Amino acid sequence: MKLKEYLKLNKISNKEFSKLIGITPVSLSRYISGERIPEKEIVLKIFEFTHGSVSPDDFYFQKKNTQEFNSDQLTLINQMSKQLKNGSKRALAKTITLVESKLKKDKLLVQKIFEKFKVNNNTVRIGITGVPGVGKSTFIESLGLFLIQKSHKVAVLAIDPSSKESGGSILGDKTRMEKLSINPLAFIRPSPSDGHLGGVAKKTHESILCLEEAGYDIIFVETMGVGQAETAVYDMVDIFLVLLLPSGGDELQGIKKGIIELADLIIVNKADNDLKKAAEITQREYRNAIQITGKPRKDHEIDVLMCSSLKSEGFNEIWDFVLNFVNKQKKNKKFYENRESQKTKWMWNSVSNNVNEIISNEIVRNKFILKIKEKVKNKNINIFQASELIIDYFIKNKF
Amino acid sequence: MSDQEYKDWLNSAEKELKDRGIEDLNWQTPEGIEVKPLYTVDDIKNLNHKIGFPGIPPFTRGPRATMYANRPWTIRQYAGFSTAEESNKFYKEGLKNGVMGLSVAFDLATHRGYDSDHPRVVADVGNAGVAIDSVEDMNTLFNGIPLEKMSVSMTMNGAVIPVLACFVASGLNQGCPEEKLTGTIQNDILKEFMVRNTFIFPPKPSMRIVADIIEYTSKKLPRFNSISISGYHMQEAGANQVQELAYTLADGKEYVDAALKRGLDIDDFAPRLSFFWSIGMNFFMEIAKMRAARFMWSEIIKKYKPKNNKSLALRTHCQTSGVSLVEQDAYNNIVRTTIEAMAAVMGGTQSLHTNSFDEALALPTPFSARIARNTQLIIAEETGISNVIDPLAGSYYLESLTSDMIREANNLIKEIDDAGGMVKAIEMGIPKMRIEESSAKKQARIDSDEETIVGVNKYKPTEKQNINILSIDNDQVRAKQISNLNKLKKSRNNKIVEDFLKKIEQAANDESQNLLEVCIQAAKNKCTVGEMTTAMENVFGRHTLSTKTISGVYSKTAKKNEKITSINTYIDKFVEAKGRRPRMLVVKMGQDGHDRGAKLIATAFSDLGFDVDVGPLFQTPAEAAIQAIENDVHVIGVSTLAAGHKTLVPLLIKSLKENDASEIKVICGGVIPPQDYDFLHELGVSKVFGPGTNIQEAAIDIINLI
Repeated sequence: MKLKEYLKLNKISNKEFSKLIGITPVSLSRYISGERIPEKEIVLKIFEFTHGSVSPDDFYFQKKNTQEFNSDQLTLINQMSKQLKNGSKRALAKTITLVESKLKKDKLLVQKIFEKFKVNNNTVRIGITGVPGVGKSTFIESLGLFLIQKSHKVAVLAIDPSSKESGGSILGDKTRMEKLSINPLAFIRPSPSDGHLGGVAKKTHESILCLEEAGYDIIFVETMGVGQAETAVYDMVDIFLVLLLPSGGDELQGIKKGIIELADLIIVNKADNDLKKAAEITQREYRNAIQITGKPRKDHEIDVLMCSSLKSEGFNEIWDFVLNFVNKQKKNKKFYENRESQKTKWMWNSVSNNVNEIISNEIVRNKFILKIKEKVKNKNINIFQASELIIDYFIKNKF
Repeated sequence: MSDQEYKDWLNSAEKELKDRGIEDLNWQTPEGIEVKPLYTVDDIKNLNHKIGFPGIPPFTRGPRATMYANRPWTIRQYAGFSTAEESNKFYKEGLKNGVMGLSVAFDLATHRGYDSDHPRVVADVGNAGVAIDSVEDMNTLFNGIPLEKMSVSMTMNGAVIPVLACFVASGLNQGCPEEKLTGTIQNDILKEFMVRNTFIFPPKPSMRIVADIIEYTSKKLPRFNSISISGYHMQEAGANQVQELAYTLADGKEYVDAALKRGLDIDDFAPRLSFFWSIGMNFFMEIAKMRAARFMWSEIIKKYKPKNNKSLALRTHCQTSGVSLVEQDAYNNIVRTTIEAMAAVMGGTQSLHTNSFDEALALPTPFSARIARNTQLIIAEETGISNVIDPLAGSYYLESLTSDMIREANNLIKEIDDAGGMVKAIEMGIPKMRIEESSAKKQARIDSDEETIVGVNKYKPTEKQNINILSIDNDQVRAKQISNLNKLKKSRNNKIVEDFLKKIEQAANDESQNLLEVCIQAAKNKCTVGEMTTAMENVFGRHTLSTKTISGVYSKTAKKNEKITSINTYIDKFVEAKGRRPRMLVVKMGQDGHDRGAKLIATAFSDLGFDVDVGPLFQTPAEAAIQAIENDVHVIGVSTLAAGHKTLVPLLIKSLKENDASEIKVICGGVIPPQDYDFLHELGVSKVFGPGTNIQEAAIDIINLI
């Protein structure tokens, strides 16, 4: 029970109660309004005094977002949800913008829209990586067009790096997926990485759900191919593809060994014209190599296939592999377990994103923290003490 | 010169400079060449080139022995617009008034191998050049102009085979045999992949086409220049002079190799290779570039062991720089063009086009075209400049600069050679990237007032001038072309046409056949430009470009100034209010491939903190609208140069409306006549930016808008 309700119910005045607990009436009114959160001892005192009626939870879980939506907003939410479900590209694009927005009010809207989403396990989420120049976009375009012919609806999430200096970005993915981008059954959304490490946008997982809600059953997530991103994407998709160039002998092509180990399927791209021979050699070499490195997901044999995105060759084999993989995973329930465990990872990602946002938006501007910063600068306290103080402060003030 | 004299000079110079050293007067050119305040005889002691004599190898002083002393350069004005009839009238008027050779500008539909009735070219027909669909249009274009006597230059690269075929067929119709045709076909596809983007087929078949043309002309059109290896478009795209020099010569080398692979002898075709330079405002650098090029080319060709000295001589056409023209205070452009024309003449050009002052706004009017023409006539006939051959030779500064350019250009050529030649380098995007860097740097210098453009960032006019401009009724031209096409298709023998189109496909599949030879027959039998192109496209495919963009160059060059700081604050506030950065889609619609402006805007805005989406080249308005909607941008920036805005922008806005996305703002930038501003505003365009716009100021405008 909230303290306010308790006092009202038991007809105790604020003044009286503050005396009983040993605090000033001003502090008490701040605790009641939620403006301040009482110190641990005070919380315990209140807990004892009210015989547990007002528990610590009533202070810590004060709903920050108690504000109700007004009728206009509710109409908007309903409308967006409906249009999204009907597959409107405009509504889908707008929803992804809301998902990526940094505004609190947008985040609340998104929560509300997401409440209406249904679990959809009939989609395939495909992660794609490879070094720059391997032809990821061309590959996605060719495979995407191939799948549209098989009456799928295809969506692509591409992430482009934001400049550290200016924060701006250039999103040029559609110039590399010209035909797919004008196909009515495809939806391509490039997003700026926005300072997020590893080149995955913070909200890629949420965006995947929006795409599925809008009826896209094949979702490609393309990464920048630089390392950290790959694990993050691996944790969002059902199957993870690594593209290679035909190298004809050179063993590793700048692609990190750890990334190869994540692969559910390795594909040698550009197996056309002069490079066909080289592609075959690469295929053979990697087939040998994977027998040593092992399997990313249990009960699954990975393979190395070849394709030519330019000539649209090799896609039948690739798609057969993907379907077999997904069906097998569904049969042994791994598919569902995987998606469930990914939700947990998503939750933790979301937590750390939120914490980071609080740190960068609020904590660093706080007067107390600025003082600590000053102290560190003047060498009054050391870094470890400072970080402990900050975390302490953080926990006290937010929890 | 004695050392003592030099020391005396240095002493008095440093006295004048008070506390500063003489090095303080050095000037670092954009090419990275250090220019000193004074050159002396010492500076020409160890040159990288031989000065020599005009008309003999290495031709540094000119390809002919007598140069202008005997006969001035050819005044050749590039022109073409609307229908063949209209252009024909314009040519005849020019020929009456001092023009000596024709230079045909084709519209973008023709460049890209589409007939005027193709749905992708609704905005392109007759706009930036003349629409040519078949040999009949070509007949009209040269009606009353005997091709036996008139040298005709044609800027054509993409649809080069069908257009040249129509030209030859038209000559034959006039009764002019092939061997008497004179002129030039640009036929320089490599720079299309690098900067101009008016290609059709992928690089490999495109190079085959170049070789087919060199082969055919060397045998059948001996007086025709089979290729015009062009640096012009590189400088227009933002290349500096060293890049223009190096990449053009490297292109030339690639063509020579392609022709030799065909089994031709170097002397069969090298004398018919010609070059094409852009001449900008850096006066001495341009002259040095032209002289350096002649020396370097003769060195390059020497390695192929020609027997004919003419193979070693570089002959060139020049055009004053279009990108140096600005919209603000446009009459200043007359002065710019004059200075550039002087540089071209001092550099020893064989023919010259001078731009009209209104070309930053629209196509030239008869009035502005006349001034442009007269600029050359005045230099040739009033100044006495043409009486002496290569008058600047031996100048300490010029020769030293020429030598420096040769060194720098050779470094760049080496980079290309190391990459495995120009075709490989283009595939890797090396020259494109270097040019875009230069372009972004130049814009940043202008935007932050480090480089002066009179009337733009300094000495701005207080009053607006009204300049009359020419506008083309694109819909009317297109309707006329389509009705002609329909008539043609009814009147010709379609069975024969089908047969020829099949023959073209076969020839495309069979490298031992010559595509030009087959297409001349097809053109004679009234196959259209679009049909011939499609026949080849069936075999070769149509090339698409993967756009690469650079970042960080603009912001590094633009010095931190108040404007940039205020943009940062604006953007921070924007993010706080809207939850994300301002997001803009930059599009190029229609068949215009000049993407310098679009690329520059993309890289500069992202450097200023925008999220910038880039659209593929040659988009239709509906495609652009869908991209804007999917990416959910705040604003679409339309980059337009080729007068397509009057058709394309209304269609874009209509598409947005139909998709319930009217709140996405539309702005336009590029070559847009001031007369059209009201038209665009009424349509719902929020803002129009002309050439010479300061990007930082534009960024603030746009943030305020959205």
